[in-house]
Amino acid sequence: MRSSSYAPGTPARRSTRAVLVVALTAAMATTLPAAQAATPTATTPTTKSTTTSAADAGVGAEAVAAKPYMGWSSWSMQSSKYPGLNPDGDYSYLTEKNVLKQADALAAKLKPYGYEYVNLDAGWWRAKDWKPGFDEYARQKADPGRFPRGMKPVADHIHGKGLKAGIYLPVGLEKEAYGEGKTPIWNAEGCTTADIVYSDLRTTNGWDSAYKLDFSNPCAQKYVDSQARLFADWGYDFLKLDGVGPGSGKNGDQYDNVADVAAWQKAIAATGRPIHLEISWSLDIGRVADWKKYSNGWRIDTDVECYCNTLVSWENSVDDRWDDAPGWTRHAGAGGWNDLDSLDVGNGQMDGLTKAERQSYATLWAIAKSPLYTGDDLTKLDSYGVSLLTNREVIALNQGGTPPARPVTPSDPQQVWAAKNADGSYTVALFNLADSPAAVTADWSTLGFTGKASVRDLWNRENLGTHTNKVTQALPAHGSRLFTVTPRGAALVSTGYEAESTANTLSGNASVADCSACSGGKKVGNLYVGGKLRFNDVVVAKAGTYMVKVGYVSGDARSIDVSANGNGARHHKFPSTGDWGTAETVSVPVTLKAGANTITFDSGSGYAPDIDRIDVPKSS
Amino acid sequence: MDSNPTEPSRRRLLSLAAAAGVATALGGLPAFTASAAPQRPADAPLPKGSSRNQLWWQAPGDEHSMIEQGLPVGNGRLGALASNDPGRELLLITDATMWTGGLNDKLDSDGQFPYDRENFGSFTLLGRLTVDIPDHDLSAVNDYRRTLDLAQGVVTTSYVRSGVTYKRQIFASRPDDAIVLHFTQSGGGRYTGSIALDGTHEESVTGTSFGAAFPNGLRYGAAVKASSSGGSVRVNGPRIDFSGCKELTVVVSGGTNYAPDASNGYRDPSLDPERLARTKVRDATDHSADTLLRTHVADHRELFEQLDISLGTSSDEQRALDTWERLGARARDGEPDPELEAAYLQFGRYLMISGSRGSLPLNLQGLWLDGNDPDWMGDYHTDINIQMNYWMADRAGLSQCFDALTDYCLAQFPSWTKLTKDLYNDPRNRFRNSTGKVAGWAVAFSTNIHGGSGWWWHPAGNAWLCTTLWEHYEFTRSRSHLARIYPLLKGACEFWEARLITTTLPGTSQEVLIDDSDWSPEHGPQDAKGITYAQELVWVLFDHFLTASKELKKDSAYAKKIGGLQKRLYLPKVSPKTGWLEEWMSPDNLGETTHRHLSPLIGLFPGDRIRPDDSTPPEIVEGATALLAARGMESFGWANAWRSLCWARLKDADKAYQLVVNNLRPSIDGGNGTAPNLFDIYEVEKGRGIFQIEANFGTPAAMIEMLVYSRPGHLELLPALPEAWAKSGSVTGVGVRGGFTVDLRWRDGKPTEARIHSVGGRTTTVAYGNTSRTVTLKPGGSVTLRDFAR
Repeated sequence: MRSSSYAPGTPARRSTRAVLVVALTAAMATTLPAAQAATPTATTPTTKSTTTSAADAGVGAEAVAAKPYMGWSSWSMQSSKYPGLNPDGDYSYLTEKNVLKQADALAAKLKPYGYEYVNLDAGWWRAKDWKPGFDEYARQKADPGRFPRGMKPVADHIHGKGLKAGIYLPVGLEKEAYGEGKTPIWNAEGCTTADIVYSDLRTTNGWDSAYKLDFSNPCAQKYVDSQARLFADWGYDFLKLDGVGPGSGKNGDQYDNVADVAAWQKAIAATGRPIHLEISWSLDIGRVADWKKYSNGWRIDTDVECYCNTLVSWENSVDDRWDDAPGWTRHAGAGGWNDLDSLDVGNGQMDGLTKAERQSYATLWAIAKSPLYTGDDLTKLDSYGVSLLTNREVIALNQGGTPPARPVTPSDPQQVWAAKNADGSYTVALFNLADSPAAVTADWSTLGFTGKASVRDLWNRENLGTHTNKVTQALPAHGSRLFTVTPRGAALVSTGYEAESTANTLSGNASVADCSACSGGKKVGNLYVGGKLRFNDVVVAKAGTYMVKVGYVSGDARSIDVSANGNGARHHKFPSTGDWGTAETVSVPVTLKAGANTITFDSGSGYAPDIDRIDVPKSS
Repeated sequence: MDSNPTEPSRRRLLSLAAAAGVATALGGLPAFTASAAPQRPADAPLPKGSSRNQLWWQAPGDEHSMIEQGLPVGNGRLGALASNDPGRELLLITDATMWTGGLNDKLDSDGQFPYDRENFGSFTLLGRLTVDIPDHDLSAVNDYRRTLDLAQGVVTTSYVRSGVTYKRQIFASRPDDAIVLHFTQSGGGRYTGSIALDGTHEESVTGTSFGAAFPNGLRYGAAVKASSSGGSVRVNGPRIDFSGCKELTVVVSGGTNYAPDASNGYRDPSLDPERLARTKVRDATDHSADTLLRTHVADHRELFEQLDISLGTSSDEQRALDTWERLGARARDGEPDPELEAAYLQFGRYLMISGSRGSLPLNLQGLWLDGNDPDWMGDYHTDINIQMNYWMADRAGLSQCFDALTDYCLAQFPSWTKLTKDLYNDPRNRFRNSTGKVAGWAVAFSTNIHGGSGWWWHPAGNAWLCTTLWEHYEFTRSRSHLARIYPLLKGACEFWEARLITTTLPGTSQEVLIDDSDWSPEHGPQDAKGITYAQELVWVLFDHFLTASKELKKDSAYAKKIGGLQKRLYLPKVSPKTGWLEEWMSPDNLGETTHRHLSPLIGLFPGDRIRPDDSTPPEIVEGATALLAARGMESFGWANAWRSLCWARLKDADKAYQLVVNNLRPSIDGGNGTAPNLFDIYEVEKGRGIFQIEANFGTPAAMIEMLVYSRPGHLELLPALPEAWAKSGSVTGVGVRGGFTVDLRWRDGKPTEARIHSVGGRTTTVAYGNTSRTVTLKPGGSVTLRDFAR
């Protein structure tokens, strides 16, 4: 959820509907069968668990976030203007009836494939006019219109289906809960809301909808403890803490919520209930160590939802993830994962995506080891959506022990992502992000080997036989293919050339700089506005187009022109390495002649990545 | 009557018919008509295609970018762009005569013509055909490839789905007057899906055909029929469902009741296009897809094989790239790709065979559309575009395809004459004749198919159309062609006789004849008198008329009068200020230095009054060269092609070749250059590229002009051979003005062998470098020349 949904001020256009909403909800509430309530919670593990790593898993239960979690979230449907989803006003989809309906569908259709979390998003404590409700301790309380029986029966029902329940909070003390500072804090003798925030009532979170908690006063931790206690008592297994900064569009001390996340981890541990702590949104990668330390997953990007007539749209903002994920890749692992947001691929019409886009969406989420939670209406999955959500090979890739993939080619419209698996095979995804069909080639040399390899097509569940040196496929607009490639050939032999070598020519402002992450401890930087790096003596035996592996450092995605021998350049965008202290590689095609060549990296009119080295294969 | 035994049979048939008084005086076949049973070729295996003449791609076309990515097919009248997507084949179908609008004879308040889709009209789509095969989604198939075989005239798509190889062929057959889609497989596969033929003008489709009429009374219709082996094919409402088919054939045809006959309002009232389309698809479906293919290929090859070209050998690395990658590599790596360059030329010929036979000529988009609002209406522009479309025809061994232009002009001629008489001297028309007289015919910058003009009057347009028609006579020496175009020539002379005004050259007492208020296309003052463009064109128009009158032994008195006018025509001089050949009868540069048009150089190309030899004063050649240099090397499609032709005439091989290479640059994000399907793209504004077909013909014309220059009585071998093609090459079937064709081989930049064949010409000099020899042949005769020394 992002600012557009959560702003405390209720849009005027919603208020006229609100009256109707209340009436409707009241009517529905009376017809809800009482028998739906109260299922025993015996299936929920109650053993103590910490949330930091798989190794700490509690007895009898898998550790929280040992694998990317799988499930369903309410927000995509809440946020959509798709006809019929939110007839009672914006975000009104979130009701007990709808959640339980989705939980039942999840249990029936997707649970066998590993989907288990049913996550309620924003608004469970807010009426359909977005007016919040709090208990006498300033804690969010169930909105009786949406959840007439309160939140516990919802979790109970979900548990009864063998699933896990997720709940949601914005970070900080919501302004409406302040109650002139006099509201007492539960189980905290002498603490009131005035004690837990700063005296200047500085606001925090992505919407400035809350007062920032002041953890120098122990009352603040008590408040978080009281909220966690409530969730544990209700039986929730998952909490999405939203609007967290730095991130959520904010930075600076006022929006630094690392202490809040730490407090939540502590509070959850104190409840004795394993509760997965997921934080949102667009978290600052510069603080990833904190996110890893205190949470189980972090949204790397803004909402995937489009807030339009469908759940999502390709341009707004599914496609952002290809650019934004690479910098985060190496931070994913057991206990904490890069969260790309909801996976809305279950119903093409409602999702607002083509089949090709849905497959690419699912492919990226799977290979990036993102949590796989869909925001679709699970009662209306189409057959293609079911095939995407239930492909066991793809799910195994996401849930198994293989590492997350990252780009092995630049972030150009046609790009290849890969990961080397422990068994020597590679996960290889081809993407065509262009608006027209295009061929995409995965060259084995970009993976580090040559010769033959067998190719398994995961989506189509077929073996494509042996391919020599590469595999090329025609992909639809915004399309993808997902392969497991098993090398049968030889390791690639390359010749390395260091950027800092004195044999090279630097021009413009380009200069050699220290770089502990780089080979030789140095790189060439300051490649901007005309800055160039030219490798002067790159020798190959045969003319051809070579996939040259470029080691580089780039804290953000940057473009560069690569050319050989003064010929025309190929323009590439290199994905972010996450920060300016990390080196990664991508391979770029360079057409060389037999004998000596020059290869030039030219920043052109913009800012280019720093270059560490290049490795030129012995054969094209 | 022309007794030339080698003249194509159709033209002979026409002239015979005309002589017998059978055909209408306007000539030309009706656009869409019942055709005789096609001649079927013997049951021999199809000749194997050569990779030299094949373009191929690793990905299908995008439904929303068909003008850049759809592959064109056409039978001269009926065309389509095909997407070749495995899961959904899409054909955007066109008929050259599918036009809105009409005579457009009510001038706007400025005395010029309305230029809109309603009154002037626009070329539009006939329909769209889709063949959906849901199981063959592109994301699920492997080893995709599509190929356009230029020599066979066939688009082939192949891919593997679950171990089965599927193949489809698409072609537009002229003999069967239909587009055929043939779906096959090997490995036990089956086709299941649906076919839909839809109009694009909100027609209701009933069953397997539709028919409707435009407000201008043009009736049109289309029909589809499918057949299979194995499985079932069933009409299901407006769709055809097919299921479990081992093989599937889909045949589509359609057309309009347009007739090239002004006296009948350009309609054939007796024709029911929907019914005729139904008949055609039924008749075609009586034959196997294989028979239809053989019939088509035989018909296509007959024309295609009239010219063969090799510009050298490409590397294996270049051959391994698909056509789109190859364009990118050619632009990026600076390495000549002679096979690609030759294939680009052959692609232009393919387009002409597909788009200019038996119906209307190629318009701004040839025969192909991806929507109903083509820029500039997809019309006929008379100030370069339609002329450039046909510069290639005779040069590249496709003289037969030229006839569509002649037929068109003759069919429009009565209307053009009437509109000129009624409207040209409208007092609001700033281009009117200040003499107060009007005669003959004229056109505007745009013309449609209903005798109408659009946009502004274009006085010299008549002369340029005439000189274009005349050059076909020079290439073919066809007396019947000359007889057909003679009335057009004479009418244009009459127009200029009425229009020319007298002026005294400043500082002299010399009186000259000049063009009245006019606009040198399409820049500078709009009231300039004596613009070079018009002076050159009228001079050469008069020249041609004099020859025609003599050869046809007609109007000798009038010819004498025209000869007198020609002598008094002002011809341009070089500006002392700029050093350029003047464009506006002024020493000043009154327009844009790098303007796209080369109007003042029309005497260099296509004309040849200005020649880089002793026949032309050196200062004129220098002035023309300086102006051409000032125009620059970085324009776009047709403008580059025209520049290349001019540099070829000036024997500057490097510049001529560089402009060809510039046009071969891939068009990225709508930029100037060549689209994935090799259509030429013009960037009208940042990020918006549109297809204009002229460069697809003008660039090949330039390539030929670099290899062979000719004018009646004289030809030159390799006048501007670029280094990139010099090592070795050959071309056969090049048309030569004066009535010959040439087959030429060269090695290390020099001709090794030249075979001169007469198609009606008798004597020509054959020059290479500074040497020259004279060849005399009887029509039909040939001679082979060797030993060319420099």
